[in-house]
Amino acid sequence: MVKPSRHSTKSEERRAYWLLVLPAVVIYWAVTAFPLFFSIILSLTNYSGGPIFAFDFKFVGLNNYIRMFKDPYFWISLKNNAYIILVSVFGQIPLGFIFAYAIFRKLVRFGDFFQTMIYLPAVISPIVVGILWQTFFSPYGPLTKIVQHFKPGWRSTFLLDPKRAIIPVLFVILWMYTGTYLIIFLANLQKFEPSILEAAKIDGATEFQTLWYVILPALSGVIVTTVILAISGSLKSFNLIFAMTGGNPARRTSVLALYMYDTAFRGAPNYPMASAISMFIVMLSIILIIFTKAVENRYGGRE
Amino acid sequence: MNNTATPQVKKRPEEIGILPQTIMYLILFGFTILTLYPLIWMVINSFKTTQEFLMNPLGLPNRWFFKNYPLAWRLANFSTLFLNSILYTGISTIGIIFFSLAAAFAFAKIKSKATSFLYGGFLIGILFTIESLMIPLYLMSFTLGLTDTRIGVLIPYIGLGLPIGIYLCTEFIKSLPDSVVEAARIDGASYFKIFLYIIIPMAKPVIATVAIMNALGIWNEFMLINILVSRSDLLSLPVGIMKFSGALASDYGKQFAALVIGTVPTVSFYLVLRNRITQGVAAGATKG
Amino acid sequence: MFKKSRMISILLAAFLVVAVVSGLSAQEQITLKVLNYLDLTSPGTEREIKEIWEAFEKNNPDIKIEREDLFGEPFHQKLEAYAAAGNLPDVIYMWPGARSATLHDKKLVKDLAPFLGDMADEFVPAAVDPNNQRGKYLAMIPIGITATHMLYVNQEMLNDLGLNMPETYDELKTMVPKLQEAGKDVVIMGAQDDWVIQSVLFSMIVGRLAGDAFIDKILAGEAKFTDEPFVSTLKFYQQLFDDGVLTPDIVMTPYGTSPALFAAGEAPFTIDGDWRVGAFLTDPATGEALIPPEKQDNILLTIFPAIPDEVTPNSTSMVLATGFGMSAAIPDNSPKEEAAWRLISWLVSPEVQKIRLETGAAIPSRKGITAEGLEPLVEQRLRFYEKYVGTYVLDDVLPPEAYMPINVGLQEIALGMSTPEDVAAKVQKGYEEWIAGLEE
Repeated sequence: MVKPSRHSTKSEERRAYWLLVLPAVVIYWAVTAFPLFFSIILSLTNYSGGPIFAFDFKFVGLNNYIRMFKDPYFWISLKNNAYIILVSVFGQIPLGFIFAYAIFRKLVRFGDFFQTMIYLPAVISPIVVGILWQTFFSPYGPLTKIVQHFKPGWRSTFLLDPKRAIIPVLFVILWMYTGTYLIIFLANLQKFEPSILEAAKIDGATEFQTLWYVILPALSGVIVTTVILAISGSLKSFNLIFAMTGGNPARRTSVLALYMYDTAFRGAPNYPMASAISMFIVMLSIILIIFTKAVENRYGGRE
Repeated sequence: MNNTATPQVKKRPEEIGILPQTIMYLILFGFTILTLYPLIWMVINSFKTTQEFLMNPLGLPNRWFFKNYPLAWRLANFSTLFLNSILYTGISTIGIIFFSLAAAFAFAKIKSKATSFLYGGFLIGILFTIESLMIPLYLMSFTLGLTDTRIGVLIPYIGLGLPIGIYLCTEFIKSLPDSVVEAARIDGASYFKIFLYIIIPMAKPVIATVAIMNALGIWNEFMLINILVSRSDLLSLPVGIMKFSGALASDYGKQFAALVIGTVPTVSFYLVLRNRITQGVAAGATKG
Repeated sequence: MFKKSRMISILLAAFLVVAVVSGLSAQEQITLKVLNYLDLTSPGTEREIKEIWEAFEKNNPDIKIEREDLFGEPFHQKLEAYAAAGNLPDVIYMWPGARSATLHDKKLVKDLAPFLGDMADEFVPAAVDPNNQRGKYLAMIPIGITATHMLYVNQEMLNDLGLNMPETYDELKTMVPKLQEAGKDVVIMGAQDDWVIQSVLFSMIVGRLAGDAFIDKILAGEAKFTDEPFVSTLKFYQQLFDDGVLTPDIVMTPYGTSPALFAAGEAPFTIDGDWRVGAFLTDPATGEALIPPEKQDNILLTIFPAIPDEVTPNSTSMVLATGFGMSAAIPDNSPKEEAAWRLISWLVSPEVQKIRLETGAAIPSRKGITAEGLEPLVEQRLRFYEKYVGTYVLDDVLPPEAYMPINVGLQEIALGMSTPEDVAAKVQKGYEEWIAGLEE
């Protein structure tokens, strides 16, 4: 911190502070804290359209939350969100790490090229990606055509089982975002002093031992970070699914964000219930993040 | 984080045995094909007429049909979409950078009791997803008459880009020596002069990182603008593409052309600025 | 010198007058916000934009149009949002029934009968009958008439396989093995969006097996969705899958892809709304068509074969028409009202109806509109409406609380996840909740 010099008075300092900070704070709070507050109120009412400040609504307690918890499509959506988290944590993160490690230790050649290819999907608009894969997976699309080339008469019945309808979506999510974790791990691996690894080698440690005893412990902080990213990122799957399946068939590929969107904009708009869903998502992400942080603190981890 | 240059480890690719290595290559090539094949497939089909696509969805076109592009361009009004996307991306990125730097300077170099609360508020925002707030944001915008306006898009874009921007800028400015500011203060410079003439020029690396990260995110943003804007002259590229294609396209030729048009900007942006983007993504993830 | 300066001052004065006049007229320009329903990928779209919308602005320089084109579910979402916020556009594309329930029930659009006056005689009587609209007043003037169910038949394929057009459902059922043997599907549908089955297939089934009278009874509180007549419609729908007429593939197939798949010969039948005729016609931009005019005679536009125990034989689900309404928020007798009416009367004028007919977008609601050089499929479509009885389209007469469970339930039955009884119970529950909400 800068110590006050003879030129700066306390009040000038304070004025400068607030002038610098206020624009950001005002905009940020206006688009997060205020809607959050707004949403809490709305989720407790039976508001059904019309100008909000006409206050033409009643407070109905937790009715909207009760209705949400009773709705089977809420649970389907929640379950799909859980699947996405699982794919991220047990798919993207390990794969991303393995790729990063292989590239970092130069266990494979063309590391730069592979890195580019694996990260590339993440920069394409999820809308484009969604439409592309929708066409690809459709029962008459290229996937069917390619398989039929080898196995005439084949039908993609596998994906017709509603319990499996989410699988293509999970696959695309895995494909799209593994590159992000690769980059994060690679950047952190590159912070290692080469000499440390060389020293381990000279001490007779195998590749695996180096990885297990030297590298992984040092990366535990990064791993927790990626898990948190995966959790908060899983709630961002709206765009892709909106374009790819629209939540169908029979709402079996819905996720919480899409469920909220449907509640607000499809059929009979129900803004209070949509607000209740919104609050649930907020609470859920807070709980998950606190939980992950607690795990980090419990088992330690240094960066 | 500033030093992500590859350490000069002289490694030979022989350490893990030939079998694991082969498997590794297979997986990596698998991913590469998964990335390249759909993209190439999309580009090739954008040169087929719908009729040819139906008969021949997998091969090369018999007759290269280039008119899909001008037709799709005109139908979906891509000139407007591009202009809007550039406008939204440009203005919000500049806004995010400027407001982030200003606040970050104050957080990092001016002592205040409010900092821990305010800065903490921004840090929480990094983990928040826009998705959870889309309905309340929409209702609020509607109430204030901000839907279907450009400013109604820009404010949330800037606001939601601030947390990561402020985090990166604050950490960066903290790493600058206090003496830089102190010396200027002793010379009688006001905080604003210091901000404009000392901090901003010194912050160029972090500015680039924040700019690149936000530009990509905002360019691809779909959900918010989809609900906040419906006037076709205010739409951005992803919304235009979704409207054009998605569930309504029986006209594959134009649909693929539209998808290619939507893909080219970000992919070329990435290929040109690959290293910067990689650094940015990694930097953004160091703090949970 | 004198002359020159006088000339300059005259010029200046003239310039000023022009400037003031044009300035004034610019001020007088009225802006109309329009919410329009438009499929950007349909071949007729370019003509519609140029010859209907741009032509109007050209001929009416005092009116500026801010048009918003939406299609499918997003249109309805947006409309609901506008209505909820009390912020309706001035001129709105709308449905005569429940699909635009909010507009009708809350009287958010004006009664257009006084505007129409004697001009009403120029329309098909049913099109301007207030009783055919949900609010029992002329909330909108229809641009056309729509059958939401149409069976498209590839007769050439049937002939090649030695099959005839089935007259009854049993005949259709017996064709299944033969078609499967030939590696064909029976009926193709793009029903990934959940409104599709309800709108283009199930409404027709309900009309045939339960009848409009039964739906009226439900709406009057004298019957339930869980009663036998409605459950039996769901059972028949389930039977379509058991018999192999439909496959669960349909709910994985994007709506946009079905015309192309039908044209490519994946199946001899497809079920879709009459609006899909437009998708097969020649695209003026490329000169190509999914089904070229010379092959269109092979395509038969008809309705689903006779179903056993029909209450309403020979019927298809029809919405009388969609059309344009005027926001009730526009002050009476204001210049804006005049401008909005000028636009609406243009949108249902003989010129525009002729264009829509030629592009295959709509069948005229006016009497005696024809056009030269129509493609065979359009000719066939024109004759379609005379032949069949019209029944309700469910999402046009039921509240969303009832038709949303139907939409999703139909997909669940397709996937074998729900029984007809389950779905009927969910629909009844949703409907009762809606009733309870009204009474609250």
